Amino acid sequence: MAGFLSTVKRIYLAFYNWAIFTGWLQVLVFAIKALNESGTAAVYDAVEKPLQLAQTAAILEIFHGLVGLVRSPVSATLPQIGSRLFVTWGILYSFPETRTHVLVSSLVISWSLTEIIRYSFFGMKEALGFTPSWLLWLRYSTFLLLYPTGITSEVGLIYIALPYIKASEKYCVRMPNKWNSSFDYYFASLAVLGIYVPGSPHMYTYMLGQRKKALSKLKAA
Amino acid sequence: MKVTLVSRNGREVVKGGIELDESATVKDLQETIHARTKKYYPSRQRLTLPAKPGGSAKPIVLSPKSKLLDYCEKGKSDNLTVVFKDLGPQVSYRTLFFFEYLGPLVIYPLFYYLPLYKYFGYADTDRTIHQVQTYAMYYWCLHYSKRILETFFVHRFSHATSPLSNVFRNCLYYWTFGAYVAYYVNHPLYTPVGETQWKIGFAFGLLCQVANFYCHIILRSLRSPSGNGGYQIPKGFLFNIVTCANYTTEIYQWLGFNIATQTVAGYVFLVVATSIMTNWAMGKHRRLRKLFDGKEGRPKYPRRWVILPPFF
Repeated sequence: MAGFLSTVKRIYLAFYNWAIFTGWLQVLVFAIKALNESGTAAVYDAVEKPLQLAQTAAILEIFHGLVGLVRSPVSATLPQIGSRLFVTWGILYSFPETRTHVLVSSLVISWSLTEIIRYSFFGMKEALGFTPSWLLWLRYSTFLLLYPTGITSEVGLIYIALPYIKASEKYCVRMPNKWNSSFDYYFASLAVLGIYVPGSPHMYTYMLGQRKKALSKLKAA
Repeated sequence: MKVTLVSRNGREVVKGGIELDESATVKDLQETIHARTKKYYPSRQRLTLPAKPGGSAKPIVLSPKSKLLDYCEKGKSDNLTVVFKDLGPQVSYRTLFFFEYLGPLVIYPLFYYLPLYKYFGYADTDRTIHQVQTYAMYYWCLHYSKRILETFFVHRFSHATSPLSNVFRNCLYYWTFGAYVAYYVNHPLYTPVGETQWKIGFAFGLLCQVANFYCHIILRSLRSPSGNGGYQIPKGFLFNIVTCANYTTEIYQWLGFNIATQTVAGYVFLVVATSIMTNWAMGKHRRLRKLFDGKEGRPKYPRRWVILPPFF
């Protein structure tokens, strides 16, 4: 019984990882095409649908971690996915004024490159039982550049959106109301920016630790 | 006898070991360690026997009242190796609780009495204070005053101290939530519920606070003043039907407050506090059931609600 279940788990994870890989590959291809043909302002419109799909599907990864399907700790996946979803839906989708900014291009390229490597890495592991060492190296090395470029793009876009957030009153709940509650999206966005301050070094050093572990295993093998 | 004191990585904490009389207790050892190391006062010391190789059993903690001889292996009464861990700076539980509870007691009335809302952008909003807001402030302050009084006059603690870092963590929790709830209940644009509802809410809450106080009195009598820290099956009053009746009454007391004041902030606080206490309650219930298993003459722990009848 255990053997059957673990096979089902492998098939599911292989399917999941390769499916999301395809989504991010599309994002990268469409982005490069748009950059070549039209320039940075056109990138968002070209990638919007596969980006939203691939990024939102990643919510499943929180469940994978919670039920123990994968080993990644929820403490690392949650902030990562949280910030991605906030930027994808809470900034880019909600405030179209930000979509033509050049940071969208750097964002989309950083994210898609990282994810293409990550998902093919896990996809190979589940489907074939191993990953070629060059892919392992890529998985644990490209973040050294792509985390800073990605994080800078995320923070930059949130910052650029702030005046539009404040003016639009979108997602805000004001008093008085029956439940005596309020929500200010502008301050919430400021709080998110604040979280990047301790959050980014936390994620980066976590990956550095993972890199050390993975590459030393490679050497030993 | 000679006691060799090592840290968990094997280094000697006190070079050359410690010479003590055969009749010495663990407490004597702790005081000697303090004298020799200057900075490690007894409540900072965690002393255990070395773990058995390959075993995953929890290490045996040395109990201050026991004789050192009790921990020696048979035939080896002149030599004992003890593992030392520094628990970090400690504060007494009374100090910890006092500062945690002082925050909400002081912060809440600030929002009631002082014109703070102009700093939140409500400078030109007129403020009529509703009756329920006044009673809410009295209720809240009564609650935290009660907690402080219980800390000094009622509670008996199983451990004398708690790590200093807990002061910052716990104060952050209590003070932040205190400000969060106070902000909304005292808001100039606060919308009160109907009079019957808030009267029932506060009455129910007060009843639960009285019950909670009585629960604390009962728990106090389960512990001897000398702080033996042994476990007994709680009984009497609500403890006959629920293991952690003190948490139960505390949770329902906050429910009363929220029924009366109706804010999202208050309910969020209730949910978070409930989950923390439920975590504690599960641990306590499990410990009591394990200890009182009905074997070897020990009583069997009766079937009881864990924390929240009629749910759990």
